[in-house]
Amino acid sequence: MTIIEKIFARAAGKDVKPGEYVWAKLDLVAMRDFGGPNVIQEYQSKFGERPVFNKENVAITFDLHVPARNEKVAVNQKFLRDFAVRQGVKLFDIDTGVGQHVLLESGLVKPWDIIVGTDSHMNLLGAVGAAGFGMGTTDIAGAMYKGELYFHVPPTINIKVTGGLKKFVTAKDIILSVLKNLKTDGALNRAVEFSGETIDNMDLAERITMASMVTEMSGDIGFIQPNDEIIEYIRARSGEKLEIIQPDANAVYEKIHEFKVNDLEPQIACPHSPDNVKDIGEVSKIKVDQVFIGSCTNGRFEDLKSAAEILKGNKIKPDMRLIIVPATMEVARESLEHGLYDIFMNAGAVITNPGCALCTTGHPGILAPDEVMVSTSNRNFVGKLGKGAKVFLASPPTAAATALTGVITDPREV
Amino acid sequence: MIIKGKAWCFGADIDTDQIYPGKYLPITDKQKMARHAMEGAPGGEEFRSNVKQGDIIVAGRNFGCGSSREHATVAIHGIGVSLVIARSFARIFHRNAVNTGLPIILFDEIKEIKQGDRLEVNIETGKLSNLSQNRVFQGIPITSLEMEIMKAGGLLDYLKKANT
Ligand code: SF4
Repeated sequence: MTIIEKIFARAAGKDVKPGEYVWAKLDLVAMRDFGGPNVIQEYQSKFGERPVFNKENVAITFDLHVPARNEKVAVNQKFLRDFAVRQGVKLFDIDTGVGQHVLLESGLVKPWDIIVGTDSHMNLLGAVGAAGFGMGTTDIAGAMYKGELYFHVPPTINIKVTGGLKKFVTAKDIILSVLKNLKTDGALNRAVEFSGETIDNMDLAERITMASMVTEMSGDIGFIQPNDEIIEYIRARSGEKLEIIQPDANAVYEKIHEFKVNDLEPQIACPHSPDNVKDIGEVSKIKVDQVFIGSCTNGRFEDLKSAAEILKGNKIKPDMRLIIVPATMEVARESLEHGLYDIFMNAGAVITNPGCALCTTGHPGILAPDEVMVSTSNRNFVGKLGKGAKVFLASPPTAAATALTGVITDPREV
Repeated sequence: MIIKGKAWCFGADIDTDQIYPGKYLPITDKQKMARHAMEGAPGGEEFRSNVKQGDIIVAGRNFGCGSSREHATVAIHGIGVSLVIARSFARIFHRNAVNTGLPIILFDEIKEIKQGDRLEVNIETGKLSNLSQNRVFQGIPITSLEMEIMKAGGLLDYLKKANT
């Protein structure tokens, strides 16, 4: 069995085959300020005030509209807070950050767990070897009640990455080049397992970047087998001993895609699709109005640090806006302690509170029609950040270099 | 379970915004939701004004692609549709249909069904009879596990029953 099949086998209490439908036990059920209220409504309409399956394994995170941006959001957030108090489930309020990251930092996510939640990018939890699924309202309400859900066991495709990266080329550039090859339906109804020496050597931030964008390939789950460092991180946070699970030596992959990244150039996804990816050299020096560094894909300390390396001692173009959003409060604190806030402020950046921020409309910082943004986020669909706006997706160094020059810029040129 | 009804034919890649336009997302009343079923799809207006309780939607591949909104299945069900037949369903729509108790079945030769044909479908065996043309076809039913959930009226009713 592949590691994904083993995860299902453990949770289902029997061997499984891809294509099969099984009931699997859940280790964590999560919802957020957006979508969460619908889940609770649905739950209450069927089960009233009945306690959830296990209050230790249900978590609510506030990350999309924090602090509440209007009255409707405020009402929804209050509704969730009240529910959390009545049921005794965990609530991560507006002072925490992007849900999946907060769950990771709090030790609630462990390798080989099965976790479901309302965000489409739950699969970034594959960064520590957990199987994270984004699900609909009814699924999450049912999961909260029963602690189990039915799953279609997906076939696994293996994406093998080897070779060392050139300076200022990052995990984001790797995953963008994978998207360029596999396209947005490249992993439809599939699990994606990343492997190879380049992946093995990645730190948590890089693993998150890789796993998060499995959503853009339409994959069910992304998975990276944890190395010792990741196991240590989880042990320290969860306080639990972990029993290591390995894929079988004769595991069957539906497909193996190999990528050698020694010569990889910085990549950029052009409007309006995350698979419309080009080498940065192929894109002309288009004028950019705003740069966003953050999101669940590139909002870790290491991401901000790589941007700071380029911004240090420099100022952004006067007609440019640079918005930087740490993924979590822990990341914000670490960035502050390491002097990144000084560098960012001196460069002319605006730093906002941790959260999802400019991933979608409805946030401070969206664009006017026809404006252009370079973003380190994961999606650039039409209208996602304002009518007529054009969004390019790139790495934190490329985004930072672009903020300095005001046009799309290769980070090796500044 | 045998479902009989009149066919309403739609094309391929009908997305959830055609099935249930985004501007109605704030509506929470299921009856009000139902009034907008298929409103954004070609032929949707005629469907909305003339559909009868028990009618059947017939569509091409990738029905229900796009966003994950459950309103889509709720609205279709609410307006009276008893079954959706398609060449394929988008993954999330498929799951939402099962979870909200909307019968669905896969069928490759949908071009053999014409607008207004009277159909009789056994959703467990997949046997699909086109009564108007006097022909019988074979569709692909959902799995038995999904069937149980769907028949219970959806996931939450299924779980509730299993627990009592
Ligand atoms: S940043 Fe965007 S994609 Fe990521 S968790 Fe937040 S809303 Fe979802």
